[in-house]
Amino acid sequence: MRVQLKATHSAANPGLRRALKIAAAGLLASGTGKAQEVPPDAPSTGVDSGVLYYHENGRVQAIEPELNLSQMFGEDSKLSIGAVGDALTGATPLGAVPSTLPQTYIRPYKVVPLGTPVTVTTASGGSTVVLVPPAAGATTQTLAASTIVPANTYPLDHAFHDDRFAGHIGWEQALTSTLKLNGGLAYSKEHDYRSESANIGLSKDFFAHNTTLDAGLNYESDLSFPIGGTPTPLTVINGDWKGPDASRHEVDAVAGITQVMNRRWLATLSYSYADAHGYQNDPYKIISVVDPISGQPNSQLYESRPESRRKQSVFLDNKIHLSSDVISVSLRGYKDDWGIKSVTADLRYRFQIGQDYYIEPHVRYYDQRAADFFRYYLVAGEAMPQYASADTRLAKFHAATYGMKFGMPLNEGSEFNVRIEYYDQHGNGSPAYAIGQLRQQNLFPDLQAVTVLLGYTYAF
Amino acid sequence: MKLCTRLALSAIGLAALCISGCASFGAKPWQHDLLAERAMQVDPYPLQSSIDDHIYFSKEASSGGRSFAGGGCGCN
Repeated sequence: MRVQLKATHSAANPGLRRALKIAAAGLLASGTGKAQEVPPDAPSTGVDSGVLYYHENGRVQAIEPELNLSQMFGEDSKLSIGAVGDALTGATPLGAVPSTLPQTYIRPYKVVPLGTPVTVTTASGGSTVVLVPPAAGATTQTLAASTIVPANTYPLDHAFHDDRFAGHIGWEQALTSTLKLNGGLAYSKEHDYRSESANIGLSKDFFAHNTTLDAGLNYESDLSFPIGGTPTPLTVINGDWKGPDASRHEVDAVAGITQVMNRRWLATLSYSYADAHGYQNDPYKIISVVDPISGQPNSQLYESRPESRRKQSVFLDNKIHLSSDVISVSLRGYKDDWGIKSVTADLRYRFQIGQDYYIEPHVRYYDQRAADFFRYYLVAGEAMPQYASADTRLAKFHAATYGMKFGMPLNEGSEFNVRIEYYDQHGNGSPAYAIGQLRQQNLFPDLQAVTVLLGYTYAF
Repeated sequence: MKLCTRLALSAIGLAALCISGCASFGAKPWQHDLLAERAMQVDPYPLQSSIDDHIYFSKEASSGGRSFAGGGCGCN
C-alpha cells in the first residue's frame, strides 16, 4: 500500500519527474548540464493562452484574449507565434482641469461630403454633433462632437473606445551547444495607431551553463492617425480636421546576464536603452490655460511633448527556491531625458500546496517623478513653454498592486491558473501653488483598477 | 566621449567583471533539479508578463527593464 502511494505521488509530480530527468541528463552529459536544459522527451508543442478582464473605477474597461503557440523542430530550433486582441470602452481623462462652471469641449470626428444632411444629434459619449463651417470651395465638411462637462467634474472623454489586434512571430536557433540566436517580427493595429517592429538577439552560456550573457536589438516603427487628424501642439482646440498622419521610430537595446548562484538561487541583471524619435504626443490630450487670479480655464490647448526621448533602465531579478516554495524579488530603476525617474519593486511568493496546487500572493510598488514639462495647467499671460502636457501619466505619483494567483499544474508543461489583481494609483490632486477655484478641485483623481486573468498552458 | 561609446565601454567592463566573478558561483549539473522547475525559469509565464507590461505601459511613464521598452501600441 505504501509503495503504491509513493508511486502515484511520483507520477503526479511533474516537477520532480522533470527534475530527475534534468539531473540524469546532466550526469550523462559529463558536466554540460544546464538550468533550463530541455529533457530528451520534453513536449515539442506548446499552447499558452489567457483572457484578461480589466476594469477601472468609472473609466476604461477592457477584455483581452491572447494566444501563443510554439513548436520545436528537432532539438535546436523553435518557432513561436502569437496573437492578442483588445476591446476597450469607457472614459479617459482629457487633461483639462475641472471648473466651478460647466465647460464645453469640441473635437472633430468625421468628414462627410458637402451638403450631406446630418440627422444625428448626438454622438457617442453623450456629446452633440455640430457642423463645422466649411472653407470656401471645399467639397467636404467636418462633423464635430461637442461635449459639456458639468461644474466641479473632472473632464473625461466618455467617447473613448478602441480595438486592437496584435501578432508576433519568432524563431530561436541553437547555433552551438552554448550559443543561441533568436529573431522576430511584431505587428499591432488600432483604429488610430499602427506599430511594426523587428528584433534580433543572441545568448551565450559560460561555465557549464551556469552563466548566460544575452543581448538584443529591437526596431519599432509606429504610425499615428488619430480621429480628427494630428493637431498642432499648443494650438486652441476646435472642430476642424487636423494635420496628416505622424510617425515615430524607436530603437531598443537590452543586455543582460543570468547567473545560477547555487542550486536554489537564480539571478538576472539587465540593462535596457531606448532611443525614440518622432511624434510622441497623445493627440487627444489637452491642457487648460487658466486665469491667473480666478483659476478659471480661459482656453484649452493641444499638448506638446518633445520629439525625442532616451530611456534607460536597470532590472534585477532574483528567484529563490525554498524547501518547496519559490520567492521572486525584482527591482527596476528607470530614467529618461524627459526628467522621469522611477523605481519599481516586485515581490511574489509561491506557496506550493501539496503536489497539485499553488497560490502566489503578489505585491508591486511603483514610484515616479514627473516629466520636466508636466503642468496641471498653464497660466494666461505667462510665457508659453515649448513643451507642456497635463497627462497625469507624466505626473509625480506612486502606485501599488496587490494580487493573488491560484495555479493548478495538470501535467508536465500544462497548467490552469487564475489571477486577480488590484491596482491603486495616487498623485497630488491639490498642489500648493493652485490658483483660485483650482484650490477646491481635485487635479489628480486616484485611479483604481481590477484585473482578472485566466490562463491555460498546454504542452504535448 | 559620446554617450553611446561610454555606455558600450561600461557594458563591456561590467560584463568582464561579471564573467570573472561568476566563475565562482553555480551549481553542478546534477544539482539543477530545482532550477528546472517552471517557477525557477527566468520568465515562467511570458504571456502574463506581456499582459502586465501592456497594462503598466498604458498607466505609467516607465517601460522596459526585463525586455524592450517600446510599447507597440498607442495606449491612449
